[in-house]
Amino acid sequence: MEEIILLGTAFALFSIGLLCVTRANMIRILLGIEIILNSGNLAFIYFASQKSNIGLIDPLGQSIVFLSIITGGAVVSIGLALIVNAYKHFKTTDARKLRRLKW
Amino acid sequence: MVIPTAIFYLFAPFTVILVGLLADRVKYPKIRDIYAIIVSGLGVVSVWVLYNMLQDSTNHIIVVAIGGNPPLGACLEIDMMSIFMAFSASLLGFFATIYSYSYMEHDTRLTEYYTLLSILIVGMMGVAFAGDLFTLFIFWEMMGISSYSLVSFRKDQPGPIEAGFKYMVMGSIGSTVLFMGMALIYGMAGTVNFAQISSVIRGQPMNLWYYLVLVMIIVGLGVKSAIVPLHTWLPDAHPEAPSTISAMLSGMLIETALYALTRITFVLFEPKVFSVTLAGLSVITMSLANLTALYQKDIKRMLAYSSIAQIGYMLIGISAGSVLGAQGLMLHIFNHSLMKGLAFLSAGNIVHLAQSRDMDELRGVGRSMPVTSLVLFISFLGLAGVPGTGGYISKVFLFNSAMGAGYWWLTVLGVLNSALSVGYYLPAMYKLVGQTDKKVTVMGEAPPLMLLVCIAMAILVIYTGVFPSTIIGYADAASKALVEGLNNYIGVIV
Repeated sequence: MEEIILLGTAFALFSIGLLCVTRANMIRILLGIEIILNSGNLAFIYFASQKSNIGLIDPLGQSIVFLSIITGGAVVSIGLALIVNAYKHFKTTDARKLRRLKW
Repeated sequence: MVIPTAIFYLFAPFTVILVGLLADRVKYPKIRDIYAIIVSGLGVVSVWVLYNMLQDSTNHIIVVAIGGNPPLGACLEIDMMSIFMAFSASLLGFFATIYSYSYMEHDTRLTEYYTLLSILIVGMMGVAFAGDLFTLFIFWEMMGISSYSLVSFRKDQPGPIEAGFKYMVMGSIGSTVLFMGMALIYGMAGTVNFAQISSVIRGQPMNLWYYLVLVMIIVGLGVKSAIVPLHTWLPDAHPEAPSTISAMLSGMLIETALYALTRITFVLFEPKVFSVTLAGLSVITMSLANLTALYQKDIKRMLAYSSIAQIGYMLIGISAGSVLGAQGLMLHIFNHSLMKGLAFLSAGNIVHLAQSRDMDELRGVGRSMPVTSLVLFISFLGLAGVPGTGGYISKVFLFNSAMGAGYWWLTVLGVLNSALSVGYYLPAMYKLVGQTDKKVTVMGEAPPLMLLVCIAMAILVIYTGVFPSTIIGYADAASKALVEGLNNYIGVIV
């Protein structure tokens, strides 16, 4: 039961994130990326807890999650910086308005 | 376990920012540029040192475990293929850094630029050296984050910001999908080390989960390596980035992604599982990219589409799944890094002086820049696969490997596409050196340092075409390490 709930949540978050990045608002796209990353984190935590055989969970999965949160933070900071600059140039956070480059 | 000194090169770029700040403080900013060139040169040296260590080691594999032995600690596993990739990356990085000295002199924030450029080079080398999925992911993000910021480096113009945002969104969706795929692999194998997951998963009967993992890996890595239909960021990002960064992205970053795809798929699955899928993707990638490149007006955008087409040719090598295919892949990665690097850098010469990328506006500009036109022409010939250049040698290997794997149609389509690609290289060259009624605004050649880099790369392109035996020998060792040496690769760890 726990398995279905945790893995199901991970995949649900994955789908929500994928849906979220198709939206128009730039901030929402960035949040979608974070949600997908966190679905991966959740899956890692779940699998780490499953690997235990002597009552201790696997430290590998946990350490991976810590480091992935760090890289995720770095990506989001770059993304926010780009959004600020895009707002300066285009005066909007609507990603559909960024259409200067095509083909 | 002894950690080789050359590995510490992976931390060297972080000193560039310190030296840069110092150079600004003592009011002699050129120290920073020279130091960045020295650091990137040290990269080539460190790869050479590692190569010699590799030749002396017993299994021809160097394992570096950091913070515990392989299941727990981070692990770098260096074999001949990693060395080959890292050498290509560091060589191109070295050229690009020297070129930046003249090319970027009018830009500000050069400390950031050089730091990010060196981190980009090191990220590529790290991806090539990685011995487990998570080390690969960290270096992957390092490479990704630095390239997102470098694409949008000229932030006072709207174009780079738009291209950078698009690239950032697509690239990080790719990485996160890859991360989810890694989580599933971890769930199935209980570890992220390449050797250990290979001994658990490879050869098992395929089920739904394995296919899901395969799709996630291809999507996750395919975004960065610009496999059609995941390529849409590339034709925007390459023209808008500074030319050195276009050369790095197009010459090496997308190939590094392809290297990661090759490594992970070969480690996880038998070649017959992914062969047909990648062959299909290869056909779509090269055909669509070549057709789109035909009607490009912007010279750098045309080169960007040409990069996608070259990725299509390289996918042939992976889908063949044989030593020959991997050899062609390795050769083409090396040759393409030189040829496309040269093409972008010499196009950069023109763009730098003419301040325009439109080929109609650039008509006749090549006449006042004979050396630049010559090296650009050499790179175009190489990209089209004309005998006498490195591109010919690697394409022979790639198309031959498709025949060996039984995909005769792939060979036919590859050759046809290769012929089609001449249809945009030659007109571009014709426009550049052709007659014009307008008065040509550009007078004189590019700065000597930029020309010197271009000439050195052009000589290398010709050299690999006329005397290919050296590089074929290295590529042979690299491909054998991937395909035939897989048991060796696993046996060192497990």
